[in-house]
Amino acid sequence: MAGMKNIWVFADKKDAILELCAGGRTLGDKVTALVIAPRTDAEQVIAGGADQVYWLGDKQDGKLIEDYFAAIFDLIQTQKPDVVLLGTTKRCKLMAGRLAARLGTSALMDVMEFSATDNGLQAKRMVYGGAAVRTESSAADLTIATVGPGVFEKLPEDSGRQGTIEDVAAAAGSAITCVEKRPKVGESVNLAAAKRVVAVGRGIANKEDLKMIEELAGLLGAEIGCSRPLAEGVDWLPRERYIGVSGVMFKPDLYIGIGISGQIQHMVGCNQAKTIVAINKDKAAPIFQQADYGIVGDLYKAIPALIEVLKK
Amino acid sequence: MKIVACYKIVPEEQDLIIRPDRTLNWERAEWKIGQYDLCAVEAGMQLSETNGGSLTALSAGTKQLENSKLKKGILSRGPQDLFIIADDALDNADAFQTASTLAAAVNKIGDVDLVLCGEGSSDLYTQQVGVQLGELLGYPVINAVSKITVQDGKLLVERTLEDEVEVLQIPLPAVISVTTDINLPRIPSMKEILAAGKKPVTQWGLADLDLAGKGSATKIDSTLAPEQADRKRILFEGDSEEVIQKLYENLRKEL
Ligand SMILES: Cc1cc2nc3c(=O)[nH]c(=O)nc-3n(C[C@H](O)[C@H](O)[C@H](O)COP(=O)(O)OP(=O)(O)OC[C@H]3O[C@@H](n4cnc5c(N)ncnc54)[C@H](O)[C@@H]3O)c2cc1C
Repeated sequence: MAGMKNIWVFADKKDAILELCAGGRTLGDKVTALVIAPRTDAEQVIAGGADQVYWLGDKQDGKLIEDYFAAIFDLIQTQKPDVVLLGTTKRCKLMAGRLAARLGTSALMDVMEFSATDNGLQAKRMVYGGAAVRTESSAADLTIATVGPGVFEKLPEDSGRQGTIEDVAAAAGSAITCVEKRPKVGESVNLAAAKRVVAVGRGIANKEDLKMIEELAGLLGAEIGCSRPLAEGVDWLPRERYIGVSGVMFKPDLYIGIGISGQIQHMVGCNQAKTIVAINKDKAAPIFQQADYGIVGDLYKAIPALIEVLKK
Repeated sequence: MKIVACYKIVPEEQDLIIRPDRTLNWERAEWKIGQYDLCAVEAGMQLSETNGGSLTALSAGTKQLENSKLKKGILSRGPQDLFIIADDALDNADAFQTASTLAAAVNKIGDVDLVLCGEGSSDLYTQQVGVQLGELLGYPVINAVSKITVQDGKLLVERTLEDEVEVLQIPLPAVISVTTDINLPRIPSMKEILAAGKKPVTQWGLADLDLAGKGSATKIDSTLAPEQADRKRILFEGDSEEVIQKLYENLRKEL
């Protein structure tokens, strides 16, 4: 690709670094990863596709990844990579924005796909809640981009891969101090990995009614998902279960939407599903336009009936 | 404490018309205040109510900002005054251009202790303007904040990340982006809407600000509605056992 030589990658999670290393290989000639983690991680990152690692040491006690901003900025300033790819966690978005601001540019955010043009990298991202896809490019000398999980697939680990690990003595610090850290409570669910999902929306009238949805999901070997109002409006289901532009985006084999109207912000999360089934009492609900099979009826009759049929 | 809350006006998504060539038509769209930015304004109100001080609203955008309903809309939620930088040259501004404009405005307003932004705009949601603004001002900056209190002249904030919550102490002046969890924005009363019309509004153009060379580096190549996957769209009406049986038979072939 024209002029796209040095690709740098940075993320606060190892899996994300490995995916970005794989992505970096498709975009440039040389992949350099910035690692703030145990040294064994640096070695794994080489095995996962990096040619070079700047190892900033293991994260110092009581420090935040954010505290390494100045060290990372200095490296970028002196080494001048062509592209810096970051993950899409809140920490990475903060890092991307601060780097971009210092460099006098903007970052390409939440990139779903890159393509090469004569003028550099072109990136696609969703805008307007998923109603449209925007293709944009950066006119800056250095392109900064954040790339979500799953856009690139990590390479199989190859312990024979050669690469250099350079130790960087990085001072960590900032005006912000962390006084406490606590894990988020709640179940952990990896909805994105589910092959089948039964998703419920505001058509469900009471929290107790989720029982029959659980039974249905159990019979189908499916995970339970939901629309945002059920996770953010009423807290009936954990946030990790809501599907859509601001929640989980995935490609299951089967998606059954129950009492979900099918607003674009929800559907972009699942409209790549192989088969879409909708159950809704309103024939005009937008979800039917995007479904393979639809039941125009009351979910309180349809779900028990479906459970009976599946039990047979 | 002098607080500034930033907001963006965005087109109403329900009014979007998609043309047959998949381009977007916003001509009939109403403009509204970004949903997440209302939480920043509310957070600013609550802080100034509990700790004393003032709240100012600030926005940079196109001439749409001059719409009096939108100006009243923001002022009716509590800020004592409003500053707008309304210039059509800001149409399609990227995060850096917007943040640079806001930074110049914050400096011109002067003596600001805290700038609050919504986590992202409800149209583009890049989650970058607050972060860039903090960096450009040279203030400590943090995103994803779901709770703010003031303690000994510093902020104590909770930051909700993907799998953990951090409690951070942040000296002032600072820039903070807040999530929608932080509060439920108040609904203005008729009295507040009427009073909003009397609050001072200062309007600046880009030429009034110190903005040498702060343009947009991002080039928009296209914005298109996604191609819809072809779906079978087989509809069964009713919810009787027979109907469900038919659905099941169809489904079984797929599973
Ligand atoms: C910036 C932004 C981001 C957003 N991100 C997301 C996101 O990521 N994910 C998301 O889900 N939403 C998101 N939303 C919200 C989204 O716009 C919709 O409001 C939401 O998806 C609607 O949820 P719903 O379909 O459950 O509820 P509703 O739209 O209220 O639909 C309920 C449906 O249930 C049907 N129904 C009612 N009773 C029955 C019954 N007895 N039997 C059968 N059917 C019944 C009704 O006919 C109706 O169609 C976002 C919004 C914005 C502005």
